[in-house]
Amino acid sequence: MQKMFTASTVGLVLALGAGGAMAAPPDWSKAPGKKITLLYPGASPMEWILKGTEHGGARGLKKGESCASCHDEEAADMGKKMATGQKIEPKPIKGKAGSIPVTVQAAHDGTNLYLRFSWKQPAGGGEKMDKDNAVKLAVMLEDNKIERANLSACWETCHQDSRTMPDAKDDKKTKYVKDGDLKGGKFFDLIQWTSKGAKHDGYVADKRVMEGGKGLVDAKGEKKGDEWVVVFTRKLAGGGEGDIALAAGKTYNFGFAIHDDHTSGRFHHVSLNYTLGIDAKADVNAVKQ
Amino acid sequence: MSGNDSSFGRLWRALRRPSAKYSLVTLLVVGFVAGIVFWGGFHTVVEATNTEAFCIGCHEMRENVYEEYKKTIHYTNRTGVRAVCSDCHVPKEWGPKMLRKIQATREVWGKITGSIDTREKFEAKRLALAENEWKRMKANNSLECRNCHSMVSMDSEKQKQRARKQHELAAKSGETCIDCHKGIAHQKPQGMKEEDEG
Repeated sequence: MQKMFTASTVGLVLALGAGGAMAAPPDWSKAPGKKITLLYPGASPMEWILKGTEHGGARGLKKGESCASCHDEEAADMGKKMATGQKIEPKPIKGKAGSIPVTVQAAHDGTNLYLRFSWKQPAGGGEKMDKDNAVKLAVMLEDNKIERANLSACWETCHQDSRTMPDAKDDKKTKYVKDGDLKGGKFFDLIQWTSKGAKHDGYVADKRVMEGGKGLVDAKGEKKGDEWVVVFTRKLAGGGEGDIALAAGKTYNFGFAIHDDHTSGRFHHVSLNYTLGIDAKADVNAVKQ
Repeated sequence: MSGNDSSFGRLWRALRRPSAKYSLVTLLVVGFVAGIVFWGGFHTVVEATNTEAFCIGCHEMRENVYEEYKKTIHYTNRTGVRAVCSDCHVPKEWGPKMLRKIQATREVWGKITGSIDTREKFEAKRLALAENEWKRMKANNSLECRNCHSMVSMDSEKQKQRARKQHELAAKSGETCIDCHKGIAHQKPQGMKEEDEG
């Protein structure tokens, strides 16, 4: 009896010690899921978005309306038009899904933010642009410093001269923020998980950098049947280059994208603009557990 | 010259002299009937110039703007209601309609001089022509659109999210239909200015 008690005590201490060091995952059943439809965006850089003769919504955007306020109900229809080449996609990929409905959950424990994404694998079979990774998922967060990021989120980093765009001349030019400035806070914090097992913690300012962050503790993904589940663990405090410090009671501009079916560059599925709240009312709210 | 004066003078005197031959009733009835014939005839001619057949009687319209319009909802739609050229380009009210018809006599001059009688000439002028029409519609608060449509009779619940949002914004900022709906029945011209859209 004495031995049993000692063994269980040791076990409990070890378990608690390990939990403390590795950050216990939250109880996802307590985190409500927000359904967000990612759409295939075709070639719709910010320059196109702002050109009223091409995009009627430029008028609304200039008056302060966000992408989601006009389009979130029709994201799937829009994605289908572009994936099939009916609109602004000069290079349609055969069989490409127009949209991917994703369930997003968030929670925090005072130290770390946890983000969970789950979605059903859509049909594929297109060109393997990224041979190593069947799937990649990237999240961008912005601390309300970039003008219009609250309206158009990730689109602020998407430009017509970036690589893989139809008129791009420089195949090394990545996404960037116009007048982006890391020191001045005008940047998007970027974290990415890849199905090969890599995780990146970087940012997008005047260019995209895939390293330098110290906030990303872990990024894990697995496919169960036809469903992908990806979970990010990120220090609320951040602490590295291009890391946003997340604080309770605040909201942040938030968007994410999935490179499905071995795609790269612009051939991804993207979210419209959303907000992430840390114990604050937002589209996706991370509540403390 | 004096002969002309005297015949004109005689006619004028005859017109001014009270009739001794015809009764007042006869004169009134004849005048009334003649008025109807004249007025009816005038309007028949005006209305004839408002028909689709008249507009596409010239190849300039038939081969350019009409072909584009045939692909739009104002030409063919679920309910089978068609808005023909004049429904959008000629006001319905008598006064504005007459003014528009007088302005349109310039188009007759254009036809005679062949200002847009080839595809190339049309393409070269279409931006200016479109801008004229947008300016006219902006000035009359999209009168022709409002002959059929109005913000107050729209059921926003039945509109797509983005249409609902855009109409709310337009109502708030006092915009008129043509501010957003350029190119609704014809292709938008090349070289369109950003201030005309967006």
